Amino acid sequence: MQRTTHFRTGAILFLLPALLLFAAFFLYPVGYVVIVSLMKWDGMSSPGFVGLRNYSALFHDEVFRTSIRNNLIWACAEAMIQVPLAILVALLLARKPKGWKLLRTIYFFPHVISGIAITMMWGAIYNNERGLLNSFLRLIGLSEWEHNWLGGLGSAFPSVLVYGLLYIGYFMVIILADISSVSQSYYEAASIDGATRTQQDWHITLPLIKGTVATCVTLAMVNGLRQFEQVLLLTGGGPANSTSVLVLYLYKELQNFHYGTANALGTVLIVLGGLVILTVRRLFNAAKSDM
Amino acid sequence: MNKRRLLLTLPAILLILSILLSACGENANSGEASEIEIKFPSIWVAKDSKAATFAQIVKDFNEQNQGKIKVVVEEIPDYAAYEDKIRTNITTGTAPDIFSFDNPADGEFYYKSGNLADLTPYLDEQWKSTFLDHAFDNAAFDGKVYSIPFEFGVTPVLYNTKLFKQAGIAGFPKTYGELFAAFDKLKAAGIAPATQMTGGDGWVSMLWYSQLVSAIGGPDVYKHGLDDPAFVQAAEVLKKLFDYTTGDAVGLDNAGSHFLNQQTAVLLNGPWFIGRIKKEGIDHLYDSVEVAPAPVYEGGKGQPGQYIGFTQASLAVGKQKDKKKEEAIVKFLKYLTSPDNVKKISLDSGALFVIKYEVTKDDTVERLQTEMKKGMEAAPYIIPHFRASVSPAVGAEFPQALSGLVLGKYTPEQFVEQLKQADSK
Repeated sequence: MQRTTHFRTGAILFLLPALLLFAAFFLYPVGYVVIVSLMKWDGMSSPGFVGLRNYSALFHDEVFRTSIRNNLIWACAEAMIQVPLAILVALLLARKPKGWKLLRTIYFFPHVISGIAITMMWGAIYNNERGLLNSFLRLIGLSEWEHNWLGGLGSAFPSVLVYGLLYIGYFMVIILADISSVSQSYYEAASIDGATRTQQDWHITLPLIKGTVATCVTLAMVNGLRQFEQVLLLTGGGPANSTSVLVLYLYKELQNFHYGTANALGTVLIVLGGLVILTVRRLFNAAKSDM
Repeated sequence: MNKRRLLLTLPAILLILSILLSACGENANSGEASEIEIKFPSIWVAKDSKAATFAQIVKDFNEQNQGKIKVVVEEIPDYAAYEDKIRTNITTGTAPDIFSFDNPADGEFYYKSGNLADLTPYLDEQWKSTFLDHAFDNAAFDGKVYSIPFEFGVTPVLYNTKLFKQAGIAGFPKTYGELFAAFDKLKAAGIAPATQMTGGDGWVSMLWYSQLVSAIGGPDVYKHGLDDPAFVQAAEVLKKLFDYTTGDAVGLDNAGSHFLNQQTAVLLNGPWFIGRIKKEGIDHLYDSVEVAPAPVYEGGKGQPGQYIGFTQASLAVGKQKDKKKEEAIVKFLKYLTSPDNVKKISLDSGALFVIKYEVTKDDTVERLQTEMKKGMEAAPYIIPHFRASVSPAVGAEFPQALSGLVLGKYTPEQFVEQLKQADSK
């Protein structure tokens, strides 16, 4: 009995610092964000309670709707294009073809470089006057396709989105690590039964790495929701707010001294993030129970 | 057991001792330190045209006040980052000892935060008399002065006479009708007539819009808010001006590069850009650049020679608990804004200031700066630019609404409506 009490006290004491830190650095800020989202506040003078007016104004705001749409497209594109590409490359590299270690390094290399440097490089590639993309199009005789990629209403958002999807190294390394932990005995048994490599990947590897894939999809979608610097540096949300995303919009509202609206945006972002995580978990759990 | 306890106790004793000793050390230091340290986050560093002279002034002040006052400059060359830092500091009640800000519209928010020092008691007649008339018009709130105006900006037309000659144009056009005729000639000669931009804060195009709004609506145009029809009419003309610019204007956020590379013939910008023309302009660009007032709009209420002018930098002081420190800060402010020091910065950088100073025949005055000053003195009136005359939210929405206007998403009326909506939150 005494031993149990000691154990409980010990557990509480050990958990207490973590709980206090969690409350101070997560619960309190989130609570503060929600409370300020119900205020009209310029950050300088006293705030005034306005109820849900900030939220109502947001849902009638075209820039907010564009931002939500762009974030959701971004999150889905990362989950449905970037992660599958990473799985594909990881499966190929897991077969350890000649030079696979070099390829693994090459794929991962962009993640070692600063994201800002990469974004600036793509800004130069897309440049209408001196950019590599338009120069290349001219070179191959497609000068009629030349375009102000970051300055067009239809081309700016795809341009900002697409290049990031090519950097699959981060998810590839996570998936590759999980594949390497799959016991070789499954593959040996499957080979004896006459299964091809593709069949082995499909029926053995993929089901066994599903947990990791779910994690990658969650990370990818959350990453899609919190995009900021890529858009800020390439287009600043323009032209005509067509590339705006939630975090950038939040940042701009802070700069405009609209602290209430900015915090309402923060609350929407938290809720959206939570919903995305729950949905992904449910989808993967449902798929698991189907098996 | 005893050994184990000793092993556990010893580090604890050492830790307590080290904390106590460091605390004693701090006490000893603070007892000795009578030097007041003033922190000044500044943008006048690195490549800024005022950097070298500003650094020298700070150094001289520190030497003159050795052991008593020390100004420590925190270098932040990126203005957007600087602005973010200052706003965060003020919001959280940790305003820096001294800082600068450019937009009077932002100043209003800072003043009402209650986190700035009231400078009214220090602003005696002697100090005030060194400033230009009306310099303090935007520095007061609730009858108290919260900032010291410092740098003054004018943004006339800078044009490349060499490119104008190539296109067969003599002198800068006096009306917008003549301007478009000249732009047609430049275009026909394969020269992009003027720099326009919608990236970043859309600075250059915002200046064109400012010129147009006051050329059409006259000097009192901002009194009627954005409801004045001049804003819609100016938007129409501005859209037309985008037919006479570079292909990357929508999204461009580098205000000066095309002009410096002699790819555009006209740029609206201020005296702080003179240094860059000298240093970065290709093929002796500086020798080809002339200054002119913006054209007059036929049938508009504006007068010929109007100038866009505004306080480009104001200095403010974070609220101080220590009166001695506040006095030390003001001492430095008086030193920095003294006519002698302002003259040094002005002559070296080409920048203009709201502090009066005398120029002797021995002084080398920058040619373009002199032309700007002459133009400013001859102007029938000086009017602030658009961003300084509206709320920060409207100013921030301008480049987005402008790109929508240029790309045909918005009509001129919808463009103005977009700006109005930004203010409604």
